[in-house]
Amino acid sequence: MPKIEVNEKLFFSLLGEKCTAERLEEIFPTAKAELDEWDTSSGDPETRSIKVELNDTNRPDLWSTAGLARQLRIHRTGIIPEYDFLVPIGQSPKTAYSVKVEESVRKVRPYLAGFIARGPAITDAILRDLIQTQEKLAWNFGRKRKSISIGLYRPSIIKWPVHYRGADPETTAFVPLQETRRMTLNQILAEHPKGKEYASILQNEKIHPLLVDDAGCILSYPPIINSADLGAVLVGDTELFIEVTGTDYPSVALTASILACDLSDMGFSIENVDVSYPYDTPFGRSLVFPCYFQKKVQVGLPAIVKLLGVPVSMDKATDALQHMGSKTSSQGETISLSPPPYRNDFLHPVDVIEDVLIGIGLGNFSPEKPKDFTIGRLSPIEQFSRKTKLSLVGLGYQEMIYNYLGSKKDYIDRMGIDPSLVVKIQNPMSENYEYLRNSPLPGLLGTESISGKAPYPHRSFETGKVAIKKPDENYGIVTRQYLGFLNCHAQADYNESASHMASLMYYLCRDYSVRESEDSRFIRGRQAGIWYQGECVGVFGELNPAVLEGFGITMPAAGGEIDLDLLMQE
Amino acid sequence: MAKTLHPLEVKLLLKYDPSTDIDAQKVRDELGYREGQENQAFSWLQGKGLLDEVARISLTGYEITPLGRELAKNGTPEERIFRLLETEGPKTFPEMVQILQIEQKNIGSAFGLLSKEGVAGMNEKKQAFLKTGALLPAKTLVLGQLLERAAGHDSPLDEGALSRDEKAIIASVAKKRGAGDAPFRIVDRERVVYRLNGQSANVRNALVSLGMTGEELGALTQEMLEQGSWKNSSFRPYNIGVVPAKVIPGRKNPYVEFLESVKDKLASLGFEEFDGNMVETEFWNSDALFMPQFHAARDIHDVYYIEEPNKARFIEEPYLSRVATTHENGGDSGSRGWDYSFDREFTRRLILRSQGTVLSARQLPKAKVPGKYFGVVRCFRYDKVDATHLSDFYQTEGIVLGEDVNLRTLLGFLEMFAVEVAGAKEVKYVPGYFPFTEPSVEVHIKHPVLGWFELGGSGIFRPEVTRSLGIDVPVLAWGIGIDRMALMALGLNDLRELFSPDLQSVRLRRTTTRKS
Repeated sequence: MPKIEVNEKLFFSLLGEKCTAERLEEIFPTAKAELDEWDTSSGDPETRSIKVELNDTNRPDLWSTAGLARQLRIHRTGIIPEYDFLVPIGQSPKTAYSVKVEESVRKVRPYLAGFIARGPAITDAILRDLIQTQEKLAWNFGRKRKSISIGLYRPSIIKWPVHYRGADPETTAFVPLQETRRMTLNQILAEHPKGKEYASILQNEKIHPLLVDDAGCILSYPPIINSADLGAVLVGDTELFIEVTGTDYPSVALTASILACDLSDMGFSIENVDVSYPYDTPFGRSLVFPCYFQKKVQVGLPAIVKLLGVPVSMDKATDALQHMGSKTSSQGETISLSPPPYRNDFLHPVDVIEDVLIGIGLGNFSPEKPKDFTIGRLSPIEQFSRKTKLSLVGLGYQEMIYNYLGSKKDYIDRMGIDPSLVVKIQNPMSENYEYLRNSPLPGLLGTESISGKAPYPHRSFETGKVAIKKPDENYGIVTRQYLGFLNCHAQADYNESASHMASLMYYLCRDYSVRESEDSRFIRGRQAGIWYQGECVGVFGELNPAVLEGFGITMPAAGGEIDLDLLMQE
Repeated sequence: MAKTLHPLEVKLLLKYDPSTDIDAQKVRDELGYREGQENQAFSWLQGKGLLDEVARISLTGYEITPLGRELAKNGTPEERIFRLLETEGPKTFPEMVQILQIEQKNIGSAFGLLSKEGVAGMNEKKQAFLKTGALLPAKTLVLGQLLERAAGHDSPLDEGALSRDEKAIIASVAKKRGAGDAPFRIVDRERVVYRLNGQSANVRNALVSLGMTGEELGALTQEMLEQGSWKNSSFRPYNIGVVPAKVIPGRKNPYVEFLESVKDKLASLGFEEFDGNMVETEFWNSDALFMPQFHAARDIHDVYYIEEPNKARFIEEPYLSRVATTHENGGDSGSRGWDYSFDREFTRRLILRSQGTVLSARQLPKAKVPGKYFGVVRCFRYDKVDATHLSDFYQTEGIVLGEDVNLRTLLGFLEMFAVEVAGAKEVKYVPGYFPFTEPSVEVHIKHPVLGWFELGGSGIFRPEVTRSLGIDVPVLAWGIGIDRMALMALGLNDLRELFSPDLQSVRLRRTTTRKS
């Protein structure tokens, strides 16, 4: 969920309303936004910012000052702004600027969109906002620049048309931003901070994308870095060329539209850029941006009424959608919605219904008590586990609960077991949480290793999940409910555990038998397998002193573990 | 105070008056207290301010050693040699060693002593003999008497109780250290003298008026009940103000109890519990929930991958094909889909389930209509562990299926959870966002203690989710966060403490009681 900072002054001027924190809290939910931080007690109101968290990962248009203000403003006023620079797909008006795409980028990063913005001198607040939007869109919506990246330039120093072509990363070189020396593309990937950060996107590619002007000067190396010559934008500039490249054309086109609408809201006039391809794209071979590519979405009024649970009239529904920024037309009981140019999140009619809901206001819907009768119950294993626990508590045990992720040291080395028995995480965050446990015993022994000062005797148990490898199963790993128990005191021995086991089994009504077992975690000859209905369901005995030593325990211990899922079977 | 006195105190108070010096020996002799009991009585009475210490006198005592006890039983070597020569006539040293079973060097030194005293001599045949009319030397006789006296007492012989001769003799054979080869060990002792003080008179009077004698019954025994002997006596009252001894009870874990109370509450609201695997596939964890495979939350840095095995062998059909088609073009769900090529390899990838909603997805194909299900399940997140994040933790989630469920019923359930599970006084709903629900609603509650916070997220499953899994009715999906309430109930402020391995801290932990 992206978090953004909006310049207080710019935001309120775009919103058309100056708000208190209370007022922001009240209106933010209509944009699924949350007020994260706003310190009004200090700082200069000209430069002060408001921190906002945006919850809807499908609404990248909200991740900017202008976009957030627009949503809130339309919701309040119901007035939808006109963006007449948008060109519908299929139309090709004449433009002063154009980009020629070459065949060589088709494989690596095939799509490009761009436009020119001209207007007032760019202020510090606007530039910061543009850079933030550029980053948030490329990172969150553009999958860390993989599917989308954005570049900003000064159009007046570029010799048009611009060419988007493939380049040999070994021989092509230029001076990137934040550098003073010429570097080859491969050098940039290996040495430049941005190159290192995004190098994986171009891994294994022989030809890399490059944006070059008609004089052969390099604009940028998408999606890595702009050139220091043509790719720098400063406060005070009055013209911008913005391009978006990527691998998913609707996302590339949407990103260009979002940026164009934002700049338009901030007083810039938008000029079109023509992009032509030598190959087919989902939108054709010749396109003019910013474009309107969205398709109309239909939803029936009965579906709205059914999902929302209240009678909603056609007028009320279309009015609500108007307040969410969408133009609609209706025929009979069907609403036809044209998504705003900066949105592409209407996948299903239910997405329109949610807009109706937010347009009306969630506060206008009252809760209704459920009518369907259903029987509630705990799962069989929960019930069986509780019965087990009751017996152990009666026998004087303290119930414990542990994390299920742990270290190789605790789960394998100290237990002295075969590492292949324990499920290993391929991408652990730390070696302390690298394995998924296969037994409750390491947890109980871990308790003993730090509880030497707690008055004895120690009797502890846990019922919980473990992961057991079962190569025959579809996943190769099954989850089981286990009981683990441990007695630790000067007289802890096999016989005590055997007595407790007998008592537990008696009250669980389980006829079990014990057989000699060979489990290295216990002392040979002082351990028993627990057999029930012809299956070994667990083991108990005196803990192997080597295990105790590994955990730093200097008190005798006896205990065991039982698969409660197996023991539960009647 | 009189009622709370121990019989040892009672008897002492009744026996002596403040003008009498009392010491341990006296009390043992006159009241028949066993060694140790008199000091218990002294210390309790001093503690109550009824008895004062008036003097401490240093004393030397002689404690008989194991060797001394041996000599007391069999006689000293001098005595035994004397008796032997007296009854059987002259004997050589080897003969005496043979008969008396005493080492030759001890025979030698004992004979030397008898000889020095002038009662024995050695003839030309190297035989020891008694001089005519010789009597056992006084020194040997007195030592024998001292040994006999000491052996018959538990306590050492007091120097003050010995005659001058006795003192001289015992001092010549006793040692302070290394007394293993001596018959007596010298011990320094102290005699403490006490007197009851003026305060004791009131207590004594109270005892008299209560008719207490110190002979009251202590513990009620099986024997007393069998014989009925309790009928003619009274019971000594106990001091109920004493701090009780601690016990270590068997107990449930308070956090588990909290989780169980939530489960019980949900079951009482008509929900049936579900359960499932900790290891899941990308398919059930995310694909079945219509989260596109390129979704930001599905990054390698957000879920844990299993190393071996790393893929499921297969994904159940028809769900795999239906979900794949829905992702690609919406299938028959009425959606346009995500418009990308669904990766059927990636979907088999094994991971640790990252959200409880995976169980809801798993439940859908077998769910009843109407039906209500819930789970309180362990989930795993790629998070740095700190006071507010755990790498594994519980999520509470559920679904409601019904022909007529809708947004208002969803709000109805949220209100029910807020009031019934969280004890909220005020509830508010705001639009939310989850990839698998539309519309989505967050519920915020005003908790009596914690104030306003987000209790949970919810929504109506997207048709892309339900249709792919064979469900044609609306399904409400909800999840509530109970960790903050758990911390509050347990008086904690660090999530890691919920899974504390510290035995003593868990033993002492308790939950505050709350009406619900």
